[in-house]
Amino acid sequence: MNTAASTDAFAMQGVRKSFRHFQLEGLNLQLPLGQIMGLVGPNGAGKSTTIRLLMGLIAPEAGSIEVLGHPMQEDAAAAKRDVAFVSDDMSLFSTATLAWHMRFVASIYPDWDEVYARQLLKRFNLRTDQWVGKLSRGEHVKSMLLLALARRPRLLVLDEPTSGLDPVARHELLTELMQIVRDDARSILFSSHNTVDVERISDQIAFIDRGRLVDARDKESFLDRWRRLSIDVPSGVTLPQLSDVVDLSLGERLATLTTDNYLPQLHAQLERTGAQVREVQRMSLEEIFVACVMRSRAGEPS
Amino acid sequence: MRSSVFWSLVRKDVYLMRGFMGAMMIVGLVSLVLMALGRVGFAVGGILFLTANVAGAIFIALTILFGERKDRSRVFALSLPVSGHQYDMAKLLAGYLSFGIPWLVLTAAALGMFLLPPREHLGMLVYTLVLQGFVLALFSVSLSAMFVITSEAMSGMVILATNICFSLFMVTLNQPGTADPLRGTQVVWTTFAQRMVAGEVLAIALALAFNVFVTSRKRDYL
Repeated sequence: MNTAASTDAFAMQGVRKSFRHFQLEGLNLQLPLGQIMGLVGPNGAGKSTTIRLLMGLIAPEAGSIEVLGHPMQEDAAAAKRDVAFVSDDMSLFSTATLAWHMRFVASIYPDWDEVYARQLLKRFNLRTDQWVGKLSRGEHVKSMLLLALARRPRLLVLDEPTSGLDPVARHELLTELMQIVRDDARSILFSSHNTVDVERISDQIAFIDRGRLVDARDKESFLDRWRRLSIDVPSGVTLPQLSDVVDLSLGERLATLTTDNYLPQLHAQLERTGAQVREVQRMSLEEIFVACVMRSRAGEPS
Repeated sequence: MRSSVFWSLVRKDVYLMRGFMGAMMIVGLVSLVLMALGRVGFAVGGILFLTANVAGAIFIALTILFGERKDRSRVFALSLPVSGHQYDMAKLLAGYLSFGIPWLVLTAAALGMFLLPPREHLGMLVYTLVLQGFVLALFSVSLSAMFVITSEAMSGMVILATNICFSLFMVTLNQPGTADPLRGTQVVWTTFAQRMVAGEVLAIALALAFNVFVTSRKRDYL
């Protein structure tokens, strides 16, 4: 497989991994080059497992994983050459300084950008002479991000990157990530609980729950298609059977309908029965995520 | 890549172990000086020398593998462009270098001490080789164990087992019938000494083979 020929930053096909109390089932996920994907899921959904599989830290029982055109299982070193990874569950070497870490990483990566590293040091307000073990959690996260960003990777994989960061540092990081993908050959995959962060910077969004991919598509498609409608339902009026309804809650005179495929024709369909659409609300990514997960769980065999 | 990631990882581990390596060498060399200062000094220095070697073996075997797993810096190391197998092999080599360098310095210094005039205890050369060989074998087996264990409780068991093995070895080595020929003025390779050294070489070889076998079959690194 040739890196130059690949148009995906990564591609996971039919990936399966089982643990004693958890199973990731037939995961298919891919990210085109130059895009940011937000991986969203509740605790224990399989986000970190997905990322660990992608980084070759654990091996799948079935399926294939390619990173920048290289098969991860067969050629992990080549696959990781242009990838930087930062995880909430990761630590630097506590008995070395940040300056030592910078020299260490620079000695491995030819694209290490010392000028950019110095800029990040200033922006993140970090000192290079302190032992990493003495850094605060926020400083530690920022140090790992500096080491990841300054090597100028083609794919940046971040597992809960904003955890432990104060709001200002979080804002700086997200701005930095958006700067990175201005170069359309660079891509980012990041997992987060924080749907506001994901909504702010992602092009692609994947929802994962209980080891299954619930939905994955581009952000605009999510935000454009999902709507919540408040409908007046006079007595004696029965709402028609509608496709693409994710949730319908009926009150005495008011119904709330959630759809994942909103089209203006829906109004006419409803109003023909005598119902009146009172309000159409755009949904936040968090609301869409919760609705997606609830629908997925409702469809699971008990 | 600017430099081989494998060698970068090896250098990194040796650098991070520099404190333990230095402490082991300083304590060991000071103990050899003490041993030259008469009967009491010999006894105190001897105990210190053994402590520096055995504590160094246990500590380096434990820290080089378990430390990185415990403080989660292993994930950082594994995120570098290296396969899991290469990472494990780098750990193995770094472990042997981190312990082997001070071990070699202390073994050479101890042998040198007995080779210096008036050379009254040349028999101790064999005693020292048997002793230091056992320490190296103990280190190899402990390092192999650390490759497969995942819990702190199990690492505690390894430390305990190492201590018991070393105590039993010292009791055996210092039995009058065994030790006396090794404390004489001449170099004597007794049957016991020959068997011990052969056993030590075999234990090191088996430990290495076990490491290579285990790491070649490993698929998950977290």
